[in-house]
Amino acid sequence: MTATQPDLGTWVGKGIDRVEGPHKVTGTAPYASDVTLPGMLHAVVVTSTIAAGSIVKIDSSALLTLPGVRAVFTHENFPRLNTPTQVLFGEAPVVPMQDARIAFHGQEVALVVADTPQEATEAARLLEITYAAEPPLLDPAGQRRETLPSSPDTSRGDTDAGWAAADVRVGATYRTPENTNNPLGLMGCVAVWDGDHLEIHDSTQGTIALRTILAGMFGVPESGVRVRVPYLGGGFGAGLNQWPYKILAAGAARELGVPVKLMLTRPQMFRLVGHRPNSEHQVRLGAARDGGLTMIEHRATSLSSMDFPAVGLLTSGTPHLYDCANVATVERTVRLNRRYPTSMRAPGEAEGNWAVETAMDELAHELGMDPLDLRLRNLATERDPATGKPWSSNAVIECCRVGAELFGWSRRDPRPASTREGDLLIGQGMAACGFFAYMPMSQARVTIYADGTAAVRSAATDIGTGTYTIITQVAADLLGLHPQQVDFQLGDSDMPASAHSGGSGLASSLSNAVIDAVSHLRGELLALAGPDSPLHGLAPDDVVCRDGALCRRDDPSAREPIADLLAGSGLVELAADGRLRPPEGAARDMVHAAAYGARFVEVAIDPMIGRLRVRRVVTVTDGGRILNKKLARSQILGATVGGIGQALFEDTLTDPGTGRVANGTFGDYLVAVNADVPDVEVAFVGEPDRYTPSGTKGIGEIGLVGVAAAIGNAVFHATGRRARDLPITVDQLMM
Amino acid sequence: MKTTRTTTRVPSAQDLYTVDVFTVVNGSPMQWRVDTRTTLLEALRDTAGLTGTKRGCDQGACGACTVHVDGKRVLSCLTLAAQADGRQVTTIEGLAGDDGPHPLQEAFLRHDAFQCGFCTPGQLMSAACLLREGRAGSDAAIREYMSGNLCRCGAYDNIVAAIRDVAKGAD
Amino acid sequence: MRAFLYDRPTAVDEAVAAVAADPQAAFLAGGTTQVDLMKDGVWTPDRLVDITRLPLRGILVESQQLKVGALTTMEELAAEPVVAQRLAFVREALLHGASVQLRNMATIGGNLLQRTRCRYFRDPTVSACNRRSPDSGCAAVDNVARMHAILGVDERCIALHASDVAVPLIAVDASVLVNGPAGQRRIPLTEFWVRADEGPSIENVLGHGDLITEIDIPLLPQGWRSGYLKVRDRASYEFALTSAAVALQLDGDLIADIRIALGGVGSVPWRAREAEEMLRGTPVDPLRFEQAGRAVMASAFTVPGTAFKVDLAVRTLSRQLLTMTEAKR
Repeated sequence: MTATQPDLGTWVGKGIDRVEGPHKVTGTAPYASDVTLPGMLHAVVVTSTIAAGSIVKIDSSALLTLPGVRAVFTHENFPRLNTPTQVLFGEAPVVPMQDARIAFHGQEVALVVADTPQEATEAARLLEITYAAEPPLLDPAGQRRETLPSSPDTSRGDTDAGWAAADVRVGATYRTPENTNNPLGLMGCVAVWDGDHLEIHDSTQGTIALRTILAGMFGVPESGVRVRVPYLGGGFGAGLNQWPYKILAAGAARELGVPVKLMLTRPQMFRLVGHRPNSEHQVRLGAARDGGLTMIEHRATSLSSMDFPAVGLLTSGTPHLYDCANVATVERTVRLNRRYPTSMRAPGEAEGNWAVETAMDELAHELGMDPLDLRLRNLATERDPATGKPWSSNAVIECCRVGAELFGWSRRDPRPASTREGDLLIGQGMAACGFFAYMPMSQARVTIYADGTAAVRSAATDIGTGTYTIITQVAADLLGLHPQQVDFQLGDSDMPASAHSGGSGLASSLSNAVIDAVSHLRGELLALAGPDSPLHGLAPDDVVCRDGALCRRDDPSAREPIADLLAGSGLVELAADGRLRPPEGAARDMVHAAAYGARFVEVAIDPMIGRLRVRRVVTVTDGGRILNKKLARSQILGATVGGIGQALFEDTLTDPGTGRVANGTFGDYLVAVNADVPDVEVAFVGEPDRYTPSGTKGIGEIGLVGVAAAIGNAVFHATGRRARDLPITVDQLMM
Repeated sequence: MKTTRTTTRVPSAQDLYTVDVFTVVNGSPMQWRVDTRTTLLEALRDTAGLTGTKRGCDQGACGACTVHVDGKRVLSCLTLAAQADGRQVTTIEGLAGDDGPHPLQEAFLRHDAFQCGFCTPGQLMSAACLLREGRAGSDAAIREYMSGNLCRCGAYDNIVAAIRDVAKGAD
Repeated sequence: MRAFLYDRPTAVDEAVAAVAADPQAAFLAGGTTQVDLMKDGVWTPDRLVDITRLPLRGILVESQQLKVGALTTMEELAAEPVVAQRLAFVREALLHGASVQLRNMATIGGNLLQRTRCRYFRDPTVSACNRRSPDSGCAAVDNVARMHAILGVDERCIALHASDVAVPLIAVDASVLVNGPAGQRRIPLTEFWVRADEGPSIENVLGHGDLITEIDIPLLPQGWRSGYLKVRDRASYEFALTSAAVALQLDGDLIADIRIALGGVGSVPWRAREAEEMLRGTPVDPLRFEQAGRAVMASAFTVPGTAFKVDLAVRTLSRQLLTMTEAKR
């Protein structure tokens, strides 16, 4: 059966500093944008200025006379590429510049390559393109839209009966705007070919997916494509998909026979690497007088592009959080002439939770019940209410209770608009949340060296979440070493395949792959122990690595120095591979549990001028086993900042007539700045999860979920006015 | 018309659009001959190879490219390289002293004041000036005067803690 | 960015002559607006005359006014003790603008000349922009407007003048000294900018080759108090949705004298003379504060995205007046 791995606990859990931190504070960590290769040319993407129609003419000849310009690629001369294969991690990309068709404003239509970035940028500005424009489909309520399911419909019980049986009912429409991931690092790549071998330095969150896609599209062996991503300037989902810009750079580099560097601009980051799409939610809740939910109905719609799949997930959490017999979810997406959507930190859940947890607050108000008590009355803690199977872990109640205690929730006057401080109205709100479990395959190789040090290698990426550090800690514990004796190398597709950093799945997936690899390594070491060895004939689980030796777990004095085992067989190193294993034993009958949380927020609102400031946040998370308490806290802090941005600022706007991004700069699209953020109190609760040996649950995204609803609910408590559309801005708060 | 060019050499047609820049970067004299369009950010990264200074927006809206010019924090993406002629420039590569890391670098590490690390050089250069400006007296002041540096990973609380630590130590 | 020639004269006369001689030449100061616009491809000068080494930096404190060199940075002016003592609202407006890094670069002269932040103006792929290209239309009116003006605008252009510091400066009747091909002249700020509804493609009265060399800022008399209130979405590093700069002298419960200007609302920094006249010599009265604000807004032109600004501007002014007179709402 899947047992919790016993050897974690010396370094795992400790809040050690980031192992790659010294590179980051000295500016020496190399991101894709920092790569320079000899003979490298610079490419700039030109984008369409219409949202639908086709290109009639591109006059690139004039550009070729400009200083430094080496090539202009358009749909007329960009190589025809193979249809990309569907990969496990992320959707297959739309192949750029294969025909004259335009499907959104800002689509890639040309690539200008020049000696310097300045020359390429200026030439790109001067490129003249004639279009045959057609009326774009931009209005989600328009008649000609195409509507597709974006998540499976779910249904249990009878929601009509639940509605009829309810003593108290609420129903409303909630909206969230487009948000743009906007990692601070501009995305881009450097591509170089050597015959049929391609090396690409990129900003992807998934090295293996990019390798597979590029190999397939260019018709070269997968073994010949190498993707390098030692550092990522963030991503928040924008690096999950293998966007057209990478294909353009690889294609240009192949055609020109020199390295090509392509960096996107900030305005292009709003157009070419995805976003969290707009969503609309109809939520109906029914409850008995005692607060017991009699029904939950959640119908949601998101916007999508013509050629790229919807993200979905808007309703994914709804059937699982509350114990209710009658639940229905329906989710659709509308195809429009809009840019490609993608996952953005807590995709779907961040929007769906806004709708459902605001509705829960409305229900509590209608019931005359404390919003916290309504959650405690209904949260499903033992079993997944959708399947009836036991959760592998679930401490959502503890999240609520501990959060309420830390926040001082019991001192809250439940009446809306009841607390004033001078000109300010003070409000307190809360929300409960989950973020679904997701754990794609990872592999890792662990090598132990004769000098007592070890290396772990995997093609994973560290998006800033701390992968470098936590895997170092896991390996240190399993190998009985100090973290400084463990070198974790990642970000290279030539290493054992790994999942992307995304879906909060990597920490769990990769830590379990390392556990598996070390188990195999112990087996390999045991095989070196001769018949005279005290370890002879033992199984991998009977021994542990400690102080440079392999020891009997139940009698550490029975030991063999690892260096001796290696030397005895003429070895200078020994490696073993491992991978994420399917659950065993009792875990097979459990539902792999989500991470859970509860958010408590206090806001101060000056209703005369509509000014809102978040004054206090208490955020409690059940993340299973916490691998590094310092870095885990940072994940929750950072996601809280993202949640504040979602609640109050972030809103990517589109011109209604043309489909152009109306505010695609950091000056116009607001993200939270330092002054917007209060001191956030972070706490963790719960036990190691029982689904995998490492017992960890991903926490990269859960911290964002629930923040917006808690803020919105605090706004209601402060003012008595309900916010149902995000972001909640000055004009909504003037009263 | 009498004007002063930055150099006295006779310009050729192409030379008209280049400029010679003499500057001291992190204590080392440097001479760049660059396209007049070149920003200080581009000169540092592409000409001098000092890639620690980051481009986050190239529009003066994120602070990732913050460097010191004559001791003041400025945005290198909106400064022409030509305007740095005769100036002292300090970048993240020059923040540490001969005797080891700058206290802010250690404090950022200790407080985990970064995640992806991309905004970090700009945050550190900004914070180093903030201390000199005497604006680290309260958390509110630190937050306000660090608001020109976006951190999309959201490490703000830890950035404040790191700066507060160093400011207190300096008292 | 279009290729350009670069000169860096050391004397004002040389700089003025260099620009005057070339219709495609322009001055370059702090660059915070200009370099950004060149990157956007909105502004494509052939020659930049870098004035940052001209001797136009520094503050001369006189008994009744400050003479501020045009190249003095925003941070330098904010740090001047006399500004804190006698022009509090100028200091507050300066420190509420941009970020420290930008304020270390941006000059006071350049701040007055900053171009609108309108994204339609700043995107050359948008063809309809009367400010960039006369008689081409206004894309902002028909699309997404929020950070746009409601005063001194009409359907031809709703571009906002986004400066903070210009708001208190116009309230105190500051003026600029200009050196140009035709010699030197003084222009009061109240006559410096051209409203969008008086000609969307003309932003101010400067001619080609005119260079602001100095800003003269009258000090508020002893006994006056002043303050600047800026309302925006986030807590820092954002342009104003609305702002109010108020200086007044109280005589007991009476507003003996008052100066008011509004930001975030006008195609030019907006001196609110109607409000001043309604309040001057009257007792402190919150209802009257609101009426004074409404009077200023009587001429507002709004589109759906800016309609909220009428009410917000009235409230912003009222709140600032309430704060400064310590009256209750």
